[in-house]
Amino acid sequence: MCRHKTTLIDDAPMFINRISFALLLTLYLMVQSPHAFSQQDNVTDSNGIASTRSSSDEDVQQTQDDWGDEWGESWEEDVIERNPLTVSGFAEIAVGERLYSDAAINTAKTLRDARVQVRADYALSASSLRFRGDLYYDGVKREWETQLRELAWQGSLSGLGEWGERFDVKIGQQVLTWGTGDYLFLNDLFPKDFQSFFAGRDDEYLKAPSASIKLSGYFDALNVDVVVTPSFEPDIGITGEVFSFFSPQLKGNIAPAFSVTSDNTPSDEEVAVRLYGSIGQAEVALYGYRGYTKQPLSADENGFARYSRMNAYGASMLMPFGAGIANAEYAYYDSVEDANGSNPLVMNSQSRYLIGYTQELFTNVTGGAQWYTEVVHDHDALVSYSPFPAYEQERYRHWVTTRITYMALRQTLMVNAFLFYSPTDSDGYLKANVTYSPGDTWQLRSGINIFKGNNPNTFWGQFEDASNAYVALRYFY
Amino acid sequence: MLTFSKNAAASRMAISFFISWCSMAALSTSYADELTHSKEHVEEIVLKAEKAAYYAGSDGKSLARMMIVDNQGRKQMRQFTILRKDVVDDEGVDTGDQRMLVFFSRPTEVQNTVFRVEKHTDLNTDDDRWLYLPALDLVKRIAAGDKRTSFVGSHFFYEDVSGRAIAEDSFTLTETTDTHYRLKAVPKKPESVEFTHYIVDIDKVTFLPTQINFYKTETNYRRVEAVTVDTIQGYPTVVRSKVSDLETGGYTLMEFRNISYDVGLSDSIFSERSLRVPPQDYID
Repeated sequence: MCRHKTTLIDDAPMFINRISFALLLTLYLMVQSPHAFSQQDNVTDSNGIASTRSSSDEDVQQTQDDWGDEWGESWEEDVIERNPLTVSGFAEIAVGERLYSDAAINTAKTLRDARVQVRADYALSASSLRFRGDLYYDGVKREWETQLRELAWQGSLSGLGEWGERFDVKIGQQVLTWGTGDYLFLNDLFPKDFQSFFAGRDDEYLKAPSASIKLSGYFDALNVDVVVTPSFEPDIGITGEVFSFFSPQLKGNIAPAFSVTSDNTPSDEEVAVRLYGSIGQAEVALYGYRGYTKQPLSADENGFARYSRMNAYGASMLMPFGAGIANAEYAYYDSVEDANGSNPLVMNSQSRYLIGYTQELFTNVTGGAQWYTEVVHDHDALVSYSPFPAYEQERYRHWVTTRITYMALRQTLMVNAFLFYSPTDSDGYLKANVTYSPGDTWQLRSGINIFKGNNPNTFWGQFEDASNAYVALRYFY
Repeated sequence: MLTFSKNAAASRMAISFFISWCSMAALSTSYADELTHSKEHVEEIVLKAEKAAYYAGSDGKSLARMMIVDNQGRKQMRQFTILRKDVVDDEGVDTGDQRMLVFFSRPTEVQNTVFRVEKHTDLNTDDDRWLYLPALDLVKRIAAGDKRTSFVGSHFFYEDVSGRAIAEDSFTLTETTDTHYRLKAVPKKPESVEFTHYIVDIDKVTFLPTQINFYKTETNYRRVEAVTVDTIQGYPTVVRSKVSDLETGGYTLMEFRNISYDVGLSDSIFSERSLRVPPQDYID
């Protein structure tokens, strides 16, 4: 199909103006902040450690005299008088622009965040309360947004007797992760935010929070995690507000500000279980899940998207191999409502396979590669009952991913390039960024998200017009 | 920037910094007898300097902070708590292996990040390393890497702190003063390191290395020094140390506080459990 694309050059002046504005605003905030540069100048030290002996080198006495002046702040404050409450966080401005125009969306903006994150931890005698919340203005949606990323109590059950010492529990809003993949999740069916991932927000935001109860048991040979999420928490998918997606009905991309109706969103619980342990240097795990498809891949009788019942079973292994780390993972997605794959309204069962390897290639350069395969079960039935057989996923979908990470300037500069490529769908996604942190308080991050595909309907191909570049400046406090 | 930020690249975060604290602590036994220049006696000095490192108690904990100063005078701070325990075999004999946890409290970017290491002295077995990234609730296994790269962005190398195996170098005693032995070390595999040799001063009483100067042929380009030594629970312990990049002028200071040995840390602390739920009793 014909797609209108302007070049990056055409859009560049506007893009640069917006970035310049963001940088100027940030510089202004820096200048206005009384603490932005003063930290290094506060000279206090009352350490007074009695030195009993030191190197005979004549330089050393000089070093010791200087020592007290070297430290920017006293360490008594935060170490000796330990406060049970710690508060920290960051403020960030992030700006991203589409590289091509998208016929379905009337804006070039892909990211406009002015964000503050507050973190507070409160240590109780044998447990802790943790809070992490974001308040931000989303200039793409033109809305103020909040996200409660963590508000949870965490502690052991030792109060319940000796057996309780083997258990930890974490109750409340939290972010959860397990599994062995790099940007690929098989048995990790905790909620994710792909909109943030595509827009170039920090990786932290790829994981969305859920209100859950996590019980962890630790035993000699085996550990166990049980996570109950009382009310199903789906992924934050591509909804059309920022990025358009392919519609088989219309044979093109649409951006309908799509949402799943509450009738089609389950409100009952999800349960995820992991059993894990070590065999020598190898880590092995078994997984189970009872819940729903994390994305609305099924439809009701009227064709409206919905989440259907799904169970998952899987296993993983991770171990040192050669000079690096090798991992393998398998998951079976059991589509409970479509046991034989003949229901076109419900997604088919799948098997998912992953193998991966990561190794340091040279000093300060690390490389990783993964091979990932999705197998659609009952594919013949899928195609023969589908209203849009031409657009159904192939029986086998393979992905190859590579990651290169380079660190320079004593780790203040980090370059990262991650590529998804599908030889079966002939599409791919390049996610690359540069992060520069010259000190402990400022961080500049810039990157690109490039999607490419030969067909408009494939997994990555449909997002070609979502390709974007972004820059973000963050101040930690 | 601490590179543990989410990427696989965290491999440089060598925990074993902590070991510098361990490995610079030594028995206070006095070796008053003058050693000669014979090969046997050089080996004895080197062995005592290395071996003493692992006997500063069966375990230990400490607060630590580093100040990293680059060649333009810009400063970065790292603050963390370290727990370490020696691994013993069935007969209770120290194997030289160590278990470690490093809990970062500063800067904000890495607050609550935890590093876990299982250090193996067997030259054919790489250390096992994990990183816990709290924002993602992610436990990341880290591939073994080049040991002569920066530890958490500082001028210390992983190997400065984990202790370079004495089997890697050939030592000769070049000088004996009233207080120190001075040894020259030449790498057996020069292609695996960036230096041609180093000169190490070892205190005759404590057997602590007090200064190490690294050379590229005639150029002394790098220095690691013990600045302050305190005796803690009978163990002479380096509480302040400094590493200098003599080529660029950058340097890193490190200081330990609240050190205690023979704390009685249980093996179970050194597990994935502590990454998510730090043992608060030992971190204060």
